[in-house]
Amino acid sequence: MKQIKIFHKVIAVNLANILLIVVTGFLAYHSLEQVLTKLRFVEIADGLDSSLLEMRLAEKNFFLYGEKSALSEIHSKINDSIKTIERSRPDIVRAIGEAKTARLESNLENYNRTLQEAGTGNTEAQAKVRSAGRNTMDFMNYITASERAEVNSIIAGSQRGLFFSFVLIVFTAVGVTLLLSVRVLGSLKRIEKAAHLISGGEFEKIEPEKSRDECGMAVSALLTMARELRNHEEQMIEARKLASIGILISGVSHEIGNPLNNISMLAQNFVELYDRMGRHEHIEYVKRIEDETERIQRIVKELLDFARPKKPDFREADINSVVNKSMRLVQNMISVCNIDSKMELKEDLPTVFIDEDQIQGVLINLLTNAIHASSPGDRLRLATRFNPDSARVEVEVEDTGSGISSEILPHIFDPFFTTKGAGGTGLGLFVSYGIIKNHKGEMRVKSEAGVGTCFTIELPACSRLERS
Amino acid sequence: MPGFRVIVIDDEKIVGQMIKVAMEPDGYVVETFLSAEPAFARLREEKFDVVITDLKMKGIDGMDVLRTIKTAYPEVKVIMVTAFASLDSAVEAMKSKVDGFFAKPVKIKELKECIQKLLSPTEPESA
Repeated sequence: MKQIKIFHKVIAVNLANILLIVVTGFLAYHSLEQVLTKLRFVEIADGLDSSLLEMRLAEKNFFLYGEKSALSEIHSKINDSIKTIERSRPDIVRAIGEAKTARLESNLENYNRTLQEAGTGNTEAQAKVRSAGRNTMDFMNYITASERAEVNSIIAGSQRGLFFSFVLIVFTAVGVTLLLSVRVLGSLKRIEKAAHLISGGEFEKIEPEKSRDECGMAVSALLTMARELRNHEEQMIEARKLASIGILISGVSHEIGNPLNNISMLAQNFVELYDRMGRHEHIEYVKRIEDETERIQRIVKELLDFARPKKPDFREADINSVVNKSMRLVQNMISVCNIDSKMELKEDLPTVFIDEDQIQGVLINLLTNAIHASSPGDRLRLATRFNPDSARVEVEVEDTGSGISSEILPHIFDPFFTTKGAGGTGLGLFVSYGIIKNHKGEMRVKSEAGVGTCFTIELPACSRLERS
Repeated sequence: MPGFRVIVIDDEKIVGQMIKVAMEPDGYVVETFLSAEPAFARLREEKFDVVITDLKMKGIDGMDVLRTIKTAYPEVKVIMVTAFASLDSAVEAMKSKVDGFFAKPVKIKELKECIQKLLSPTEPESA
């Protein structure tokens, strides 16, 4: 579906506006021209009018006082007027048209003719003079008045025209601006929504952009970028997995190498020194070999758990009950070590969608680590709460034990990293971290050597998971 | 080789114990440590001939032990033992003038022969 781009729409509307302005300007110019022509005529007409008035006055002198010279005065004035009309004929024709001009001329000529006859003293002819003079005068007054009226109507007309064009231009300009703002803001909202979904990793929820305008293209570009980013992220995760397999393999070779070496050395000495040792020592040696094989077995078992994790069985659960169960399992250890434990569990928490066994394993791992790091009299705090901002349920395991130094803090989630020597496999936190990630959760740690450690697990609250 | 004094540093307790058990009948004096710091303290107190150290340890590791000893006590022989026998670590150890390099599992006989060779007075003194 091909749509007109916003850019083209804006150009089209602006062109229409410019056309409107040009047409309005042309019409206004035309009206002005007309008004000027009419006014020029009115000016000429005024001159003719005053000449006619003088003619009528002379006419009166002739009839009342018999002044013969008056007739030649009228005659010369008529000739002057005809000359004036001839001189300005194009202007006059333009203003009142050919017909009216001709009629004016014929009126004047008629007047002139009657005058010549009036000189003979004929009474009828004299009456004709009066009538021709009045007719000319009346006609002159009529066209002057009608031209004035026309000037007024032209001015009023162009006033209206200008006003309506102005209103139309303002309306289209405001309309286009509003439309543009609504469309651009709407698209920005869609882009913002898409960006939010991308940052949440929920690519599949982004609606494919239907419109092919600039905003639609921006959203599609954003989407493409997000997909590329995800591809890169997946490649990076793969690379990181490979790297962690590398760490894992070197870790395995070291972890298993040590007990193997112990078995080997015990066996070598057992053979070499067999005759010098008593029965008790013989048994002691073999027992220690047995211990070392168990150590290897433990590592292999944990490795297998890690390599072939049981398929998690996600169910809706109450985190507080999981926390309580985990706490009961380590309670004995806490009492033996004389640690002061405290539970701060928030009630009415949203449920979480978890594999209870796995989360319990993680909690026991964190609690055991905390107990191992603590000395008699130290405090252990276990808390749960809901964070409405992230829509996650949080579990905190905090101790006032030995803490973790800043040098080793970045490595605690690495496989085979342990501070417990042969006592730990270094897989506990590594596996726990994987479990929490698998629950779409987060695991954070804050620690200061000599002050204590606080692990926080964040798990998505159920309602949100269900929606997805 | 009576009277020669050996220090073993390894966070695996059994390593030190087994070397001690194997070598003391031959007249060596063997002291074992689970980390480097107490071994350094002991070296400051008394003269030792050989230090056998693990490469990968928490805190001060085998490379640090090698460098420290070669700087402070150049006459002391250092033998490196590791379960983490990568080529890189061996090359680095060679560069730092290690006197012997053993991958775990260690053959105690070979370790003893190496020590005997290192401590044999013929080669260095006849030269």
